[in-house]
Amino acid sequence: MNVPHYWYNINVDLLRPLPPPIDPYEADSRIALLMRILPSELLDQEFTPLRYVPIPEEIRELYERMGRPTPFKRAYGLERVLGNGVRIYYKFEGALPAGSHKLNTAIPQVYYAIKDNAKEVVTETGAGQWGLAVSLAAALLGVKATVFMTRNSYLNKTQRVLFMRTYGADVYPSPSELTKYGREAIKARPDHPGSLGLAITEAIDFTLMGEGRKYIPGSVLGFVVLHQTVIGQEVLQQMPEEPDLVIGCVGGGSNFSGFSFPMIGARLRNEGFEKTRFLAVESKAAPKLTSGRYTYDFPDTGGLLPMVKMLTLGHDYVPPPTHAAGLRYHGAAPSLSMLVKEGVVEARAYGQEEVMEAARLFARTEGIIPAPESAHAIKAAIDEARRMPKGSVIFFNLSGHGLLDVDAYGNTR
Amino acid sequence: MEIRKPGIGAYVTATYPNKNDFLNAIRCLSEVSDFLEVGIPTNNPKYDGPVIRKTHFASELKGLDAVNVAKYGKVPTILMGYVEDYVNNLELVAKVASEAGASSVLFPDLLFEHLDKLEEYVMAMRNHSLRPTFFISSNTPHRLVNVLVRYEPLFIYLGLYAATGIKLPLYIERNIKEVRKLVDNITLIAGFAINTPEMVKLVIGAGADAVVVGTALVDKLANPMACAEFMLSLRGGLP
Ligand SMILES: Cc1ncc(COP(=O)(O)O)c(C=O)c1O
Repeated sequence: MNVPHYWYNINVDLLRPLPPPIDPYEADSRIALLMRILPSELLDQEFTPLRYVPIPEEIRELYERMGRPTPFKRAYGLERVLGNGVRIYYKFEGALPAGSHKLNTAIPQVYYAIKDNAKEVVTETGAGQWGLAVSLAAALLGVKATVFMTRNSYLNKTQRVLFMRTYGADVYPSPSELTKYGREAIKARPDHPGSLGLAITEAIDFTLMGEGRKYIPGSVLGFVVLHQTVIGQEVLQQMPEEPDLVIGCVGGGSNFSGFSFPMIGARLRNEGFEKTRFLAVESKAAPKLTSGRYTYDFPDTGGLLPMVKMLTLGHDYVPPPTHAAGLRYHGAAPSLSMLVKEGVVEARAYGQEEVMEAARLFARTEGIIPAPESAHAIKAAIDEARRMPKGSVIFFNLSGHGLLDVDAYGNTR
Repeated sequence: MEIRKPGIGAYVTATYPNKNDFLNAIRCLSEVSDFLEVGIPTNNPKYDGPVIRKTHFASELKGLDAVNVAKYGKVPTILMGYVEDYVNNLELVAKVASEAGASSVLFPDLLFEHLDKLEEYVMAMRNHSLRPTFFISSNTPHRLVNVLVRYEPLFIYLGLYAATGIKLPLYIERNIKEVRKLVDNITLIAGFAINTPEMVKLVIGAGADAVVVGTALVDKLANPMACAEFMLSLRGGLP
């Protein structure tokens, strides 16, 4: 089994074309701004007509060195406990060194930034999974990483901060003193807890302030989804049988999409997976797929990026705190949003307690402590397995491990 | 009326900046272009970049009243409007277009936002002896493009970038080549941010049959000489 040679671009197989990104009518063009902040190759990938985008050899090698293909395992322990003859398989993205699927796009994004002569990549992070992946990718490829981490997480997820620094990154709590937006926020409220939206704004502003910097985003955009399809491309080779049900959790939608799109694409082209159901699981803290509107909205709270058409709760929606900080996001990737809208993908939201209970069951039966985000997929797999007939087959994506989520497991029963 | 290949078309927004200048501009542009694209001014030019957006907001008249001020047909003329303004009036737009001498009405948002109106749109065009035309982007689903080809449109228009006038670092040559494979021998027109003879050459060389120039023309519209000179210089990029 080899690391795939291609990423899969589902846009060219969708039932409808994706509406293009648009600018708001007032102020400057955000589309024009993209050119200054993002690596150029990523912009090309956002609009590529190719169904299969070749993975550059250097990236394939790094994928391999970091542990791709990741394991595709059968959950024998969990199956035994459920005891009704449903076969459950999972893809384990937590096997990557930064602990989650985020490295799949961090590596190519940093790689393409360097192709544009960047000396530094700048990003934001909430829980720290994305920041950690970017820090590692930057270390591997030899550029500096600067990460704006929401202050609340910065103070609570101290291990991730430590490990980002171990990889050589500069990590700042956001709001910070480095940008005018940060200074204003601190002035208005000295104990500001930070927000992902503000961290994005600071990261973009910081990128524009210096020479040789590129900004890179962690989810939602088309090229992020594209890179994550390395997961599903591997599954196509690893799976011993066709699934009845495919499950993933959704923050911005990149791991669910990366896992499932190669299978959904085959179905859209009438090349298999006819009977497969696809289920996207979100947190009740940010239920855009189940209660959002399908409309043009900003991907970032600050409204610096162009608007995209997606299922959204509104870019100024502030999700309540949850252990699954990576799912606290107001919108979902446009391609995934459209597939939910069209009924190709089903959606469901779970609350925190039931999810953490599923996480503990999984830890005790499979040995892996899952990330609270990924545990949403586990919860759905358990619920569905209980309802499905004997002999049914479930695949889910275990997008990360939870070994650094001390706060989530802190009061384990 | 067929579009001449290879060809160059000029985009203008109807009655921008005023009725008189607009009429002068289309008279002059008809001499130096193979076809015209005339924008129906709207309050919601959502896929247009800042420059063309301004022309919509600043035009003297709005909607179909604005396109009605001229008689077209010296060269093939295509009206361009947003279908969301006319979802329930497709027949009316087709009638106005036909009476004004246009060859088609191009709706850039038809496939993206109102795919359910596809058949109705094609019927409206045919009912008024017009040909359908379609707007696609580089990543429009392949199967949909195959469907469009079967309607035998006057042309398929490929928007090279996300919005008019805003260049992004995309491999447009490759994109045109890929789309060319999908559209068979239907006339393929490309546009958005074309402003030099070199770019005309590259786009035609990659497989487009014709190009449209809009944003780069806007500041020259008031001056017929400058306008004609610019179009002629772009023609230098044609084979
Ligand atoms: C482990 C893990 N899974 C899932 C997600 C959700 O993100 P996405 O839906 O973009 O994959 C995150 C985001 O931080 C995460 O850390």
